[in-house]
Amino acid sequence: MKPPGSLYRRLLAWLLLPLMALGTLMLVQAYLDARRTADRAFDRLLEAATLSIAEQVQWQNERLWLDLPPAALEMLATGAEERVFYAVYDGDGQFITGNARLPGDPRGDTDSGDTLHYRDIEWRGLSLRQGIRRTRLEDWSLRERFEVRVGHTREGRQALTLALLRGNLAYIAVMAGVAIIVLLLAIRSALAPLTRLRRAIRARDPRTLAPLELPLPRELAELRETLNELLARMRRVRANQERFIGDASHQLRTPLAGLSARAELALRQDDPQAWRDALQAMQATSTSTARLAVQLLSLTRLNNPEATPELRHLDLNVVARMAVRNAWSTCHRDGIDLGMEAPEAPVMVNGVDWQLEEALGNLIDNSRRYGATRITVRTLPDPPTLEVEDNGPGVPADKRLLVLRPFYRGRDGGEGSGLGLAIVDGIARTHGARLALNEGQDRQGLRVTLRFPGDCR
Amino acid sequence: MIKKAILTLVLVLLGPPALATESLHFSAEVRDDPTRSLIIHGALDLPYVQPLLEDFHRRYPNIELHYRNFSTLELHQRFLDEDQERADVLISSAMPWQYRLANDGYAQALETPAASAWPSWARWRHELFGFTFEPIVIVYRRELEERFGAVNSHADLLNLLERRHEALRGRVVTYDPARSGAGYTYAIEEVRLSPRYWDLVAALGSANAALVDTTGEMLDGLAEGRYWLGYNLLGSYAKDFVDAHPQLKMVIPSDYALVTQRLAFIPREAPHPESARLFLDYLLSETGQGVISEKTSLGAVHPSLEGPGTAGELRTRLGDALRPIRLGPGLLATLDDLKREALLSRWQREFQRWSNIPGR
Repeated sequence: MKPPGSLYRRLLAWLLLPLMALGTLMLVQAYLDARRTADRAFDRLLEAATLSIAEQVQWQNERLWLDLPPAALEMLATGAEERVFYAVYDGDGQFITGNARLPGDPRGDTDSGDTLHYRDIEWRGLSLRQGIRRTRLEDWSLRERFEVRVGHTREGRQALTLALLRGNLAYIAVMAGVAIIVLLLAIRSALAPLTRLRRAIRARDPRTLAPLELPLPRELAELRETLNELLARMRRVRANQERFIGDASHQLRTPLAGLSARAELALRQDDPQAWRDALQAMQATSTSTARLAVQLLSLTRLNNPEATPELRHLDLNVVARMAVRNAWSTCHRDGIDLGMEAPEAPVMVNGVDWQLEEALGNLIDNSRRYGATRITVRTLPDPPTLEVEDNGPGVPADKRLLVLRPFYRGRDGGEGSGLGLAIVDGIARTHGARLALNEGQDRQGLRVTLRFPGDCR
Repeated sequence: MIKKAILTLVLVLLGPPALATESLHFSAEVRDDPTRSLIIHGALDLPYVQPLLEDFHRRYPNIELHYRNFSTLELHQRFLDEDQERADVLISSAMPWQYRLANDGYAQALETPAASAWPSWARWRHELFGFTFEPIVIVYRRELEERFGAVNSHADLLNLLERRHEALRGRVVTYDPARSGAGYTYAIEEVRLSPRYWDLVAALGSANAALVDTTGEMLDGLAEGRYWLGYNLLGSYAKDFVDAHPQLKMVIPSDYALVTQRLAFIPREAPHPESARLFLDYLLSETGQGVISEKTSLGAVHPSLEGPGTAGELRTRLGDALRPIRLGPGLLATLDDLKREALLSRWQREFQRWSNIPGR
C-alpha cells in the first residue's frame, strides 16, 4: 500500500508542476528575447564600424588602400572591453589588411551592391559576433568590390542580455509569486469544507448516531450521505442489540421468577414430598436456565467480531462421531433413531472442533425437541459438508430465515430457548460455511446443511 | 656609468634587436618546492627593474627569479616563437604590440583585489596592466633658453621653429617614425590629438631636424652639444640623465603631453602561473608601486600614492595636459600595415613641405 499522501500536497503538486514548467518556458523565452534585443543593439556597432572602415577604403598605388580610422575599432569595444578583430578583403578574397584573418561571408557571391551580414562564429576558441559588409568602391571609374569583416567577443552583449533578463526576471518572479499565493489560497479554500466536516465529526458526542447535518459542496455532500447511511445502519444494529438484550433478560427473568415462585410455594407447605417435588422442578428449571445462559454466552461470543478463534485442520467425521456419541443416550431414552452416515475417507476442513460439535448438538437437540423419530447425521466430501436430517415436522419455506433469529420459536410451547439455530448460524459464519435449511427426504422433515468453503484436504 | 646604462637600455628597449641579452637571476633561499620559480621577460632595463626584483625577492625569498631583458621587437617575436622559453610575465613599453597579444587571447586574467582596484584607464579587462606612468618630454640645452626663451609647450616649440628655423638648422633632434616603433606610436597618437601636429612636422622639416632611433642617442647628442633641443624623449630615461647633466633642462609640455605606460600581462601558457600572479599582484600593490616611485623614475600609477615620482603628482601639476595613450582597440590601428604606410608617407610629405619650395 502506498503511503497516504496528502490531498493538499497532491493538488499543490499537480498545479505547481505545470506552473513551474510554464515559468521555465517563460524564462527561456525571456532569455532568448533579451539576447536578441542585445544582439540587435550591438549589431548597430558592427554596422557603424564596417561603414566607417568601408568609407576609408580607396584605390591608391594601383591597389586597394585603407587608412584605418582608430575610432572604427574603438566603437567596437564598449565598457565590457571586448576583443576586437577586423580585416579587409578584396573581391577575389585576397587579404588586404587587418589584425586577424577572419572567415568570410558564407553566402553565395551575390551581385547585389552593398550588403551587411551578421553571424555568430567560433573562431580560435573565442565566440565572436561577426559583421561582414560587402561593398564596392565609389570611384569615378573603378567599381572594385571588397569585403569589410569585423568581429568582437560577446561580453558586452552578455552584460546587456543579463541586464534585460534581470528586468524580465523580476517581472516573472513577481508573477510567479502572485500565482503561487493565489494557488495556495485557492487550494486552502477548496479544502476548507473537508476541515469543517472533520471538525463536525470530531465534535460529536461519541454515543450519538444522529445523521450529520451541515452544508457541504456536492462532492463532500456525497461523503456526508454515505456517512449518514453508515450511521443509519449502526442505529439498526444497535436497535437489534437492544432488542436482543431485552429478549435475553426477559428469557432469563421468566425461569428465575418461576424458580422464585416455586420455592415460595414449597415453603408454605410442610410436606417433605412436596418439597422434594419442588426441588426437582427447580432443579430442572435451573438446569435449563443454566443452559440458556450458556447459549446466550456462546451467541454473544460468536457475534463478537473482535474475537475470531483460531481455525485448525480437523476431520468432520471425528466431529460428527463425537456429537452423535454425546447425544446418543438422550435420544435412546426418547426412543429416537439417531444414525450417522460418513464416507470412509476423512473429510478435512479448517475449523474449531468444539464449535462444530456444539452446532451439531444444537441441531440434534432441535430435531429431538420438535418430535422427530429418526435423526441422521451425515458428512459429505467435495465440498466438505455436515448435514443433519430428521423426519420431524420441518420448517415452512417462508419461515426458514426467521428461525435463524434469536428467540424466534417456530412453535409456541416448545421448551427450546430459541437460540439453537441462531448459534448454528453464528458458527457457520465463523467458519465461512453456508447454512441451508431444506426439506428432508420424501418432502418431509428438515435437512440442515453446513457447506464448508473450498477444498481443504 | 648611468649614461652607459641608459644607452644600453634604450637600445634594448626601442632600437633594433638587442645586442646582447641582459639578465638578472635571484636564486631561491629556501628550496622547498622546485616549481616555485618565476621567469620574467621584459623590455625594461636592469637599473629600473632591479629595485623591484630585489624588493620582491626579499618578500618572497623562496621564489627563484629569472629576469631577461630584450628589445620590444625581440620580446614580441620570442613570445610568438613556439620554440623559445615560455615566460611567466611579459613586460613591454610597446603598447600596441602588448595590446594585440592580449586582444588575441594570449593573456590570462588576474583576479586579485589589487587588480580589481586598478584604475580602469590603466588596464584592459583584467589581463593587461599599465604599471608605470612615463610622460613624453622635450629636453633642451640651457643656452637655447638664454638665446630664444623658454620652451614650455608644443605651441612654444612650433613658434620657435617657425621663427628661428635657420638658426636651429640641424640642431633639433627627434625620433624617426619610420625606423623607431616608439617614434611611430607617438606620431600616430599626436595626429589623433591635433591636425596641427602636421605643422609641427613641417616646421621640424624646415629646421632640418635630425632623425634618430632612440632616446639615448638624443640625450647623448644633447649632452655633447650636437643638438640644442630634443623633441619627444621618453621622460623616465631623460629625467635621470638631465639630473646628471646640469646643462640640460627637461620640460613636460604644458599644452599636452603624451604619457606612455609599460604593460604587463601573464601569458596563458605561463609555466608558473602562481608565482606570476604573485609578482603581477606585487607590481600593482602599494608596496611595489612605492618602490617604483622611490627608486626609479618610471612613475607610479597607484591612485593612493602621492608625491614625487607618481602619476598623482604629475596630474596635480599638469592637470588635463597629460594624455595617457589610451589602452583600447585604437592601438590596433597603430599596427595596421597600410595605416603605417599611409602615416609615414604623409609624415615624409609634411617633413619636406617647405624644402621643395624655392626661396625658403
